[in-house]
Amino acid sequence: MISIPVEVLIRGNRIFSRLDDEPSSTGLVIVKDILPLALVPALFLYFGSMQFGWEIGSRTAILMAHEVVIAISVAYFVALFFGLLGLAVLLRWMAPTYDANLEFSRHLVLIAAVATPMVIGSIAHIYPHVFVNMLAIIPALIWSMYLLYRGVPTLLETTPQQGMLMASSLIGIVLVAAVTLLGITVALWTHGFGPSLGL
Amino acid sequence: MYNDRVVTVLVVLSLIWAIAGMGAGVFIAAELVWPTIDMGLEWLSYGRVRSLHTNGVIFGFGVSALMATAFYSVQRTSHVTLFAPRLAWFCCIAWNLAVLAGGISLLAGWTSGKEYAELEWPFDIGITIVWLSFAVVFFGTIARRKVKAIYVSNWFYGALIIVIAMLHVVNSMAMPISIDKSYSLFAGAQDAIVQWWYGHNAVGFLLTGGFLGMLYYFLPKQADRPIWSYRLSIVAFWAFTYSYIWAGPHHLHYNAIPDWVQSLGVVMSIILLAPSWATMVNGVMTIAGAWEKLKTDPALKFIVLALAFYGLATFEGPMLSIKSVNVVSHFTDWTVGHVHSGALGWNAMITFGTFYFLVPRLMGTELYSVRLANVHFWLALAGTMLYILSMWGAGVSQGLLWLTLDELGELSYGFRDIMASMAPYYALRLVAGAIFLAGAVLMFYNFIKTMENKATVVRRIPEVRTASGVAEATA
Amino acid sequence: MNVLGLHKKLEENSGLLIFGILFVSSIGGLVQVLPSIFEDELITPTAETRPYGALELIGRDIYIREGCSTCHSQQVRPLLAEVKRYGPFSSAGESAYDRPFLWGSKRTGPDLHRIGAKFSDAWQRVHLIDPRSVVPNSIMPAYPWLAANAADPRNNIQTRLRRLRLLGHPYSDDAISNAPDLVANKTELDAIVAYLAVLGEAAGSGEEMAH
Repeated sequence: MISIPVEVLIRGNRIFSRLDDEPSSTGLVIVKDILPLALVPALFLYFGSMQFGWEIGSRTAILMAHEVVIAISVAYFVALFFGLLGLAVLLRWMAPTYDANLEFSRHLVLIAAVATPMVIGSIAHIYPHVFVNMLAIIPALIWSMYLLYRGVPTLLETTPQQGMLMASSLIGIVLVAAVTLLGITVALWTHGFGPSLGL
Repeated sequence: MYNDRVVTVLVVLSLIWAIAGMGAGVFIAAELVWPTIDMGLEWLSYGRVRSLHTNGVIFGFGVSALMATAFYSVQRTSHVTLFAPRLAWFCCIAWNLAVLAGGISLLAGWTSGKEYAELEWPFDIGITIVWLSFAVVFFGTIARRKVKAIYVSNWFYGALIIVIAMLHVVNSMAMPISIDKSYSLFAGAQDAIVQWWYGHNAVGFLLTGGFLGMLYYFLPKQADRPIWSYRLSIVAFWAFTYSYIWAGPHHLHYNAIPDWVQSLGVVMSIILLAPSWATMVNGVMTIAGAWEKLKTDPALKFIVLALAFYGLATFEGPMLSIKSVNVVSHFTDWTVGHVHSGALGWNAMITFGTFYFLVPRLMGTELYSVRLANVHFWLALAGTMLYILSMWGAGVSQGLLWLTLDELGELSYGFRDIMASMAPYYALRLVAGAIFLAGAVLMFYNFIKTMENKATVVRRIPEVRTASGVAEATA
Repeated sequence: MNVLGLHKKLEENSGLLIFGILFVSSIGGLVQVLPSIFEDELITPTAETRPYGALELIGRDIYIREGCSTCHSQQVRPLLAEVKRYGPFSSAGESAYDRPFLWGSKRTGPDLHRIGAKFSDAWQRVHLIDPRSVVPNSIMPAYPWLAANAADPRNNIQTRLRRLRLLGHPYSDDAISNAPDLVANKTELDAIVAYLAVLGEAAGSGEEMAH
């Protein structure tokens, strides 16, 4: 039984009909798919930060202490893991509204498939230059969104109309959540947490 | 029959402006990546083309689309043809000529220097006259309506016409020096307060309110059922009209204007979230539950996605008005990203959706290619997402790095280094803009082909007439 | 009270609806914007602020024409980091002779409100004509035409000053009659460099007041 990320690479969006026929259990999907998906970018980040260092704001790369890199990578893994789970919970929460399938394992599987291109794109973390990472984001993001719109109707067994609405709703909610996180982060900075700002 | 030829012409003009205005946007995005592509020519200089971009998309693309949809929907919701159809034609042609000549004058360096109100005084006067003719046609049509109640979309179009007129006249008051130059009647801090009262509410009543008028007519039309809650639409409309006008000073946080003006701006900006999201909920609920009636045609896809980005933009706006967030975001590309999540995600997408609904109906034929329209949908979605991401990245790092101090209490980063580190974000923004523009070009091609379809249909009509009589031809 | 019943009147009478929209949308402006217009304190020049000289005024008009304010702010906020980076923070009175105001909304390039003291006129000249010769990774456009154009080709500097005097700027008769001599044989480059040089001249002691 191969992992969903691998299958996305091999079969593209045709995997959704395959997955629809062979549902799997929640625990198995979390261990087999979600966990590695969250782990891989964190590992890439770890190696990249140790090997090359980040170039942000200044011309010279920042090489951080080993402990700091480990802490950041672990935090990244935890954030990704719970972020992916959170997205699946969000889909499950919306499911009754759009008459979608209520099995949580299906929502997890969908999120795993949708996240796959972004995770593949995260290979750019190995060379943590903003430019390289930006280049990787472009195809990855488009591919991910394509999988989302294709996956919802098949895997969650909705009509195409409902699936389209559900996918758009998810994008809307994710964007609002993302900007909220940004806002909270910035507000924490200006209230004295994190970097020292001259206010 | 309804007066739709002027609508068709306005739609076509709006499409041309979309390509031209977005093209100018992509060009200036490229200038920020390769600063020498202006070839040292005044007319291609960033500072000049930037106002051509904003004026082209807002007043060319946006307002032409609003005029088209206002003329289309006001006839149908009033059950009468347009009042003063010749004046409607004047409005259509004069407006577009004004924006065209105005755009050229901006490239020539005629500018008042006020953001989103750059056109100089001769254009300001011309625009006022055209806008009055828009008001006469619109309210004249409503005045002779055959249905008792004025439909909710018309309130939004009405508020657009009235409030923009008020803002434009006050903010444009100036002392002319020559044909191409004037000095504002307001000075310094007062000018700043008046300008952002204008600037913020031009966004409010044109880009938000005007396009909500579009939403309230075309969404129920597309979903083929009435708006979910009429009462909610009433409350949201008046709350929106009342509270939006106060929020302007959040553009001037920590600037040299009185504190009470800033604080009031924050409070009203946050209150504004309520009517904004109430309208979004009303839109979503109108679609939800009517599954059997819905078709997944491109029009609906765009309108639904527009609602999602509308939700983002109207949430992000109040958030950015909070002082502890604004202190980081102000003057950065985050603001640019926020504007574009509204402009690309909301305004452009709902207009695209509306046009995919409108053009085949105006032409009396099928859309040339649903496949192309679906490709356009993907390009628009990808372009908008990448644009927002790139500007979030750029804006947050600018805001953070500008303010960061080291252990000794000195600035950690020089301005030049921070600016140089923007290159990847600006490159991604260029790609994002180009993707979005490519989508718009595809749509334009699709509509041209659709209109050619119509042309072949028209040519066949005389044959029908000779074969089986007049009655069939008119049927 | 039946809100819908009350509202029925509005939505069945276009005149009432127009009036309602006008009324509701004016309140904010009347309470918030109008008082600012009558608050003289906002446009009372600080002790160090003076009206722009003839050449400086032309320079400022060129600054507006080229859209410099689309990338450069002229507003140092009262923040420690900003005062360290740019200089004393801006006050309202400094902009009393600014029509329009040029505070800006975006810093693609740095703030310029205190630029006058930082660079020599010679540096500004070179930088405007070829920014990348002095700042290698600059993304600012080059402005070669400024050096080729006469500062006041239409000879209307006196009109500009007189109109500004009508608006309350204290230009003396002498200042107006001498103006053409001051700008004769000058280029646009001379003018904008003269304008940039006075930016920050009127800076108060904002540094101590920064929190």
